[in-house]
Amino acid sequence: MKILIVEDEIALLQSISNYLEKDGNVCETASSYTDALYKIDLYEYDLLVLDINLITGSGLDILQLLKKGKKETGTIIISANNSLDDKLKGLDLGADDYITKPFHLAELNSRIKAVLRRGKFGGTERIEFNEISIDTRAKTAYIAENAMALTRKEYDLLLFFITNKGRVLSKEIIAEHLWGDHSDMVDNYDFIYVHINNLRKKLTDAGAKYIKTAYGSGYKFIDE
Amino acid sequence: MNNKAKKIGLLRKTSKTFLSISLVLMLFSTIVLYFYVRTLLQGEIEEELRSTEARIESSISNNNPVYQLPPMVEVTTVPKIGKEHLKDTLIFDPSQNEMEDFRELITYSKINNQNYRITVRTLIVESEDILIAVIISYLIVLLSIFIFLFYFNKSRTQKLWNPFFKNLEQMKLFSLSSETPISLLESDILEFSELNTEITTLTEKVRSDYKNLKQFTENVSHELQTPLAIIQAKIDTLINGEGLNDLQFEQLSSIQNDIQRLKQLNKRLALLSKIENDQFQNLSACNLNGILEYRIENLSDLYAIDIRLKSENEVTLTMDAYLAEVLCDNLLSNAIKHSSPNTPITVILDKNSLTVINSGTKAVLKPELLFQRFYKESDHTKSTGLGLAIVKKICDLYGFHPSYYFQNNEHHFKIKLKNA
Repeated sequence: MKILIVEDEIALLQSISNYLEKDGNVCETASSYTDALYKIDLYEYDLLVLDINLITGSGLDILQLLKKGKKETGTIIISANNSLDDKLKGLDLGADDYITKPFHLAELNSRIKAVLRRGKFGGTERIEFNEISIDTRAKTAYIAENAMALTRKEYDLLLFFITNKGRVLSKEIIAEHLWGDHSDMVDNYDFIYVHINNLRKKLTDAGAKYIKTAYGSGYKFIDE
Repeated sequence: MNNKAKKIGLLRKTSKTFLSISLVLMLFSTIVLYFYVRTLLQGEIEEELRSTEARIESSISNNNPVYQLPPMVEVTTVPKIGKEHLKDTLIFDPSQNEMEDFRELITYSKINNQNYRITVRTLIVESEDILIAVIISYLIVLLSIFIFLFYFNKSRTQKLWNPFFKNLEQMKLFSLSSETPISLLESDILEFSELNTEITTLTEKVRSDYKNLKQFTENVSHELQTPLAIIQAKIDTLINGEGLNDLQFEQLSSIQNDIQRLKQLNKRLALLSKIENDQFQNLSACNLNGILEYRIENLSDLYAIDIRLKSENEVTLTMDAYLAEVLCDNLLSNAIKHSSPNTPITVILDKNSLTVINSGTKAVLKPELLFQRFYKESDHTKSTGLGLAIVKKICDLYGFHPSYYFQNNEHHFKIKLKNA
C-alpha cells in the first residue's frame, strides 16, 4: 500500500513511517502544509494519515482539497484535541477514521488496515493467515474452513493480533485497543488475561499456536 | 446585606416613599387647615354676635323699645350684673323642628340704671357647613395634585432609571462565552455613564481572562498530547526493537501505563472545562434505558461482573447524548471499581431517579468530598479521581441532584433526575 503521512512532528512522523514500512507499505512523508499539498497533487495514495493540527496550515483544508480532487484515498485524521467538533468535522468532510494523540502505533496500524479493507484500493474483506481466515464483514474467523466460536472481544482481539502480526503487544496496548477509555478502570489486567487465554485456548485446540508470550508480560502473534 | 430580606423594586420603593410622605403631609395639613378655619369662623361669629349686641345696647340706650327675636336675640332685665360668657348650646328650633347648634353670647350691661342681660345667638350650622366645604374642596384639590404628581413622578423616575433597568437586563443576558462585548444604553446622567464604563471595563476584563484561560486549557491539553504521542510512538518502536530484556520491557510497559493515565487525566480535565464552558449544546432526547443497557453490556464484557438493571418505565431526558453516556459510564465504572469482589451491581432507574448500588464494607468516610476533583477514598492508583467530579458537573448542568448514602452494607449513588 502507498501511504502518505502528514505530521509536523518529525520524531512522530519517523516512528509512524518506520512502523508501517515494516508491514511492507510504501510510506511517504510530509512535514508541512505546502509539502502535503504538493504531494497530494502530484501522486496517488491509497491512504493519507493526516495531522489536522499542523502549524503551517489546517489539515482540514488538505482534506477538503483531497476530496475535491475526487481521489479515492482513504483518510485517517490524527488530532491532539479531544474535541468532538473536530471529530465530527473531520468525518463530515469524508475522513474515514479519527485517532487522538497519544495513540499506539499498533492501534493506528489496525485502523489503517480497517480503512484499507473498506476502501476500493485492493482492499479485501478477507484476511488470511496460514490456516486462519477472517471474514471482516461477517465478523467471523475460520480455522481450516471451520468457523470458530468466538466472543465479540475474542474476535476483536484475534483481528488486532493478526493485523499487528510479528509485533510485540503489551497488555496496555491490547487493553486500550479493546476497551478504549475503560482500560484504566481497574488496577490489574486480569480481564485482559482472561480474554487472551480464552482466545489462545481456542486457537491452540485447533492447532494454531500463534499467540506467543513476549518478555513475560507481553504478547506476539507469530508463526515460528 | 441581609439576603433573606424581602427585595422590593426600585420604582415601587420610590412610589411607596412618595405615597407615605404625601399621606402624612395630607393628613397633617388637613388637620391644621381644619383648626385654622374653625378658629377663623369662630372669630367671625363672635364678632358678629358682639356687633349685634352693641347695636342692641345702643338701641336700648336710645330708649327704643327692646327688640326681641328668640332664639336669636333675647333681652331681659336682671337684678344684678353677671359674668359675660360665650358658649355653644343646643336649642330647639321650631322652624326646623329639631334641636340646633347655636353659639350664644350672654352679656350683662347697665343701661339707664337698668340691668340688662342680653343674649345673642346665631346658628353654627352655616359655619360648620362652610368648614366642611372648605376641607372637602381642599382635600379634592390636594388629592388631584397628589395623583397627578404621583403618576408624573412615577413616569419621570421610570424614564430616569430606564438606562439602569435596560443595562441590568443586558447584564443578566451577559454570557462569558458570547463572542460580542456587552452593549449598554448610553445615559446623560453622570453616575449611570460612570457605571456603564465600569461594567464595560469589568466585563471586558472577565471576558478576556476567560478567553485566556480557555486558550490556556486548550493549549495545555493540545501541547501535552503531542509530546505524549512521540513518547508513546518511541516506546512502541523500542518494544519492537532488538535486545530488550524482560525487566526493561516491564518498565516500558509501565511507562505506557502512565502515558495512558496522563491521557485520561487530560481528557477528563478537558471534558470538565468543556462542561463548565457550556460547550455541549446538542440537546436531544436521550433514552436512558437504552444507554444504560448498552453500557452495561459493554462493561460486562470487560469484567466478570453481574450488573442488573431494574427499570419500571422508559426514561427519556433532554440532554447532550455524549454527556448522558459519560454520566452513566462514570457511575457504573465507579461502582465496579469500589465493589466488593464477586458481588452484583444493581442499577435502578425510575422516572425521577437513577441509582447505582454496589456492595461495600463501610460507608465512605467523607461523603461531602466525594464529588470533588481528585478526592480519592482508596488509593486506586489508576483512578484519575475525576469520574464523580464529572458526574457532579453534568448534574449541575442539567439541574439533577446527585447524592450518596450507605445502607445495608451497600453504597448508593442516587441521581435525582429532573425530567424535561
